[in-house]
Amino acid sequence: MYIPYVDIVPQLIANSVIAGAIYALIALGFNLIYGTTKFFNLAHGAVAACGAYAVFAILKTFALPVNIVVACAIGAFVAGIIGYGLERLIYRPLRRRKASNMVLMVASLGAFTALQAFIAILFTSQFQALESSGGISGAIEIYGAIITHTQVVIITCGIAIMAILAFIAKYTLFGKAVSAIKDDEEVARMVGIDTDRIIGKVFFIGSAIAGVAGILIGFDTGIEPTMGMNLLLKGTIASIIGGVGSLYGGFLGAFVLGFAENFGIWKISGEWKDAIAFVVLIVFLLVRPEGIIKK
Amino acid sequence: MYILETKNLKKSFGGVHALNDLSISFAKGKLTGIIGPNGSGKTTLVNVLTGMQAITGGAVVVGGKSLHAIRPEELPRLGITRTFQDVRLFEQMTVGDNIMVVLTARGPYAALTERSERKREERVKEVLEKVGLWEKRHQLAYNLSYGQRKLLEITRVLAMDADIILLDEPFAGLFKEMVKVIVHIIGELKAAGKTVLLIEHNMDLIRELSDHVIVMDAGGLLAEGKPDAVLARHDVIEAYLGE
Repeated sequence: MYIPYVDIVPQLIANSVIAGAIYALIALGFNLIYGTTKFFNLAHGAVAACGAYAVFAILKTFALPVNIVVACAIGAFVAGIIGYGLERLIYRPLRRRKASNMVLMVASLGAFTALQAFIAILFTSQFQALESSGGISGAIEIYGAIITHTQVVIITCGIAIMAILAFIAKYTLFGKAVSAIKDDEEVARMVGIDTDRIIGKVFFIGSAIAGVAGILIGFDTGIEPTMGMNLLLKGTIASIIGGVGSLYGGFLGAFVLGFAENFGIWKISGEWKDAIAFVVLIVFLLVRPEGIIKK
Repeated sequence: MYILETKNLKKSFGGVHALNDLSISFAKGKLTGIIGPNGSGKTTLVNVLTGMQAITGGAVVVGGKSLHAIRPEELPRLGITRTFQDVRLFEQMTVGDNIMVVLTARGPYAALTERSERKREERVKEVLEKVGLWEKRHQLAYNLSYGQRKLLEITRVLAMDADIILLDEPFAGLFKEMVKVIVHIIGELKAAGKTVLLIEHNMDLIRELSDHVIVMDAGGLLAEGKPDAVLARHDVIEAYLGE
């Protein structure tokens, strides 16, 4: 018996998992920062783009003779440093002045715009490829689904980073200190936790993860200065539907979003992808605003 | 010898003077009961002493050092800790982790790599066994009963081993058995030479536990002295009962 569409299902599943892994990388960093500081760091998307452009600068602009993995590590480090810099230079002074979360969010929007403009000034606004001759190319086939090596790396990174963060959260004192700050920052300070230092590290780690996402997407689909906005939107939606501020929630929400988007366009135009993402968001806000993982 | 003093301490909220030129002293190693009617400024005093609210005027002297501003993160260095009238725990953490996290001393790079060490685990076990919460160590603080929450907050104080301990109504809403447990813990703190400030409305407990009593009214000092003498004063009774 001939079953229509069966050929496309494995590819749709693969695409969903790939999209989910990308969104997870953004959502993990975003949720880590949101969970600790309780404000929407809109600059997160632009920080991801910074990571991608740092690798572009190393491999293309300056054509430095470095291994691709080293270039990616430097790119993630650059993103981490930029995130940490934003915390030190903008967010921390604002928090000291008792700025509300709304003020912090507006400041992060300013940082987003500035970073995006800065990238465009340095690298032009045009779309560019990040592929590397000696890097990750080729593809594999699983049950009829074609997955490029870059996409395999994306999925692996998404899962590995989630596992590492879960380990840190559960078993290290740094993870416990982050949990304490999430619950009650004032009491955390009172009992001797150096909240500024911990939040600084959270920004570094969360931003470096965003950088990894930006770099991998760059290798997969290319880069442009505005790439951060789409990443930010999808990462934020994933966070909200999964449970904003929750590590596991962001991860789960990312895959729910990936599957919803890719299966949503099974029979309709791909142009609907973003609309589907926002419909899912609105449905969750109406039906389960606290997200899949409720505190 | 006084370990903690306030010098003309002022705290205003708009036009309301919650602390009004308050100058009081707390003797080292003694338990000072702080009483006064609702709104007399007792909790504001504790909030100002622990940096939860900014000082409007005057100073706080800790161990001979005069401070015009206190930040919560300075408290461990100053040797001060506190409990809250409305218990504040790390709700989404386990009972064990609530204690573990206050035992952490972090260097610049240690926090990312250090693991829960045996020494810390032993200390967590020691304090939780002392108060009878060891069996609950894997439970989230959020799921504890009201009495257990109060107890865990005091256990955190024990674990921190601070010299000056501010207890804001630790017995409020507790049943008899739990009151006994907390009285016992406070007794141990006194025996260990800690300086304790105890805000409490139960006069029997104030009589039983205090070495010295301070009575506050309208943000100022109304009376102070030995518990029996102070609690027998007509103006103190009047302030409390509004006669």
